[in-house]
Amino acid sequence: MFDGLMDNYTQSILIFMGINIVAAYSFFAPFKTGQVSIGQAGFMAVGAYASAVFTQKFGLPFIVSVPLAALIAGVVGVVIGFPALRIKGIYLLLLTLGFSEIIQVVVLSWDYVGGAQGYRNIPFNPRTLEWVVVIVVLLIFFFGRLERSSLGRAMDSIHQDETAAEVMGIDVVRIKLFAFGIGAGIAGVAGALYAHQATYIDSTTFNVMMSVEILTFVVVGGGITYWGPVVGAVALSLLPHFLRTLREWLQLMPVAWTDFYPMNKMYDFLYAFLDFENAKRLIAYGLILIVMMIVRPDGLITRDSLPRLSFKRWRPRHA
Amino acid sequence: MLERAAAATCLAIEGLTKRFGGFYAVNDLQLEVATGDIHALIGPNGAGKTTFFNLVTGVLPADSGEIQFEGVPMLDTRASRRTLKGIARTFQNIRLFPHLTVLETVMIGEHCRLFPSVWQSFRAAALQPPFVEARQERVMRTSALTLLEFFGLVDKRDAKASDLPYGDQRRLEMARALATQPRLLLLDEPAAGMNPHETEVLDELITRIRDRGVTIILVEHDMRLVMEISDRVTVLNFGTKIAEGNPKEIQRNPAVIEAYLGEDVQL
Repeated sequence: MFDGLMDNYTQSILIFMGINIVAAYSFFAPFKTGQVSIGQAGFMAVGAYASAVFTQKFGLPFIVSVPLAALIAGVVGVVIGFPALRIKGIYLLLLTLGFSEIIQVVVLSWDYVGGAQGYRNIPFNPRTLEWVVVIVVLLIFFFGRLERSSLGRAMDSIHQDETAAEVMGIDVVRIKLFAFGIGAGIAGVAGALYAHQATYIDSTTFNVMMSVEILTFVVVGGGITYWGPVVGAVALSLLPHFLRTLREWLQLMPVAWTDFYPMNKMYDFLYAFLDFENAKRLIAYGLILIVMMIVRPDGLITRDSLPRLSFKRWRPRHA
Repeated sequence: MLERAAAATCLAIEGLTKRFGGFYAVNDLQLEVATGDIHALIGPNGAGKTTFFNLVTGVLPADSGEIQFEGVPMLDTRASRRTLKGIARTFQNIRLFPHLTVLETVMIGEHCRLFPSVWQSFRAAALQPPFVEARQERVMRTSALTLLEFFGLVDKRDAKASDLPYGDQRRLEMARALATQPRLLLLDEPAAGMNPHETEVLDELITRIRDRGVTIILVEHDMRLVMEISDRVTVLNFGTKIAEGNPKEIQRNPAVIEAYLGEDVQL
């Protein structure tokens, strides 16, 4: 579909941006009921390894393996969700963190999935971009629908006051479990897409930093409405590329402008600083997170900003 | 009064006990609430009234005893299931959902009636086309607006619940509880913090709720309100019942006077 449209580099940027959106939604689903998880990368690992095994060892097509991976990750999510129901706040954070650490150790020591050498030769999906586009659109539709539905409102009420919601007849236990499972399933999809794009995964691929990144997407974009995860994931995925483009523009500057002290020093510093390849990306994320907490703690997109951005005819007609 | 005497029992409490450490918040409590009554529960601070509410609604587990609602034992039922069976309550320290609007708050109460199971609500959420208001949403909205009209909050439907003045928040809590279509409503100090005019309106509201066929248990410190509207009054002290009767009897009961004013008071 997009073959003639863009080069491979652009395509891979868009694919990883899309996977980040999916991952952000996987965090958003349990967060809507007030459950903060930093184990989403663990669920991504489950989905990634499951889909890799299904396609490579059993020869299943992607259309079967990816939903199966989502299902398995979702089931694991529900199993993890049961103990998670009883604990809140920082303890839930630690539980999900512990879960993702366990997953890392399991794949590291399990030779069937490559062990310490990592899982090689995962079938490459040349249609990942199409997959990503379809899945992201479906997710946006689903969460948009959820937000306008009674279930979405019930989830919001659980987030705001669990006891009051329970006493109003909201089935807090099942809805929280459901949200956790859905989130894990979505993370499984993100992991599977990742596996078939990267074709190589190992125990360090889905580490805690990835979970923290996913959390950052939602915190920066906004965890109140369903556009927040999209905006956060898009902005933060494109940021390193944008900064590197800045670096390229820097080279266009005439040499005469910078060929003297202190401009040459500043130029060198900026040139080195804007090289946001891997680990340095997290520096930018961290800075943005701090600034966001001070300036806009609810994230870029809040409930107030939505009506201002949307077309009037799109809003539901009130009875 | 004759049909009231013959009326069925709505809530029957048998030997209900709740301990916090060594402190008996509710101690071997016996209580019967007749269907269609406004039954007031009074007593000094710390007498166990709010704990009693928490036990009846399932917010806290009881240590021993039995709670029967319309003949069905309730102790093993989760709080949300008890609401489905017809018990609703308000909170003494208001517990609204701060970021929801007034209308949405009431619609939360209606959720359990339209969608008793998570699967049903999920289907409604997932299968409706986007950007269209679903049929159930319209039904909920309409009946929520009717309720808001009943409580005089319809003009403020789009305000955030936390932005409302105190009296309105109390009434919104009652509206939210009524939205669950209860047959037993537990009101925890509905008049607290209200001015005399608001209390008078509340008088009428509670009576009108009762007239809709809802049995009411009322915890209240405003004695004028209690004596005016309740059919029966139970006095608690240290988690046990020290007196029960109609308002006139209670006002003359020496044990009650002692509990409220201390011993050796000549009236």
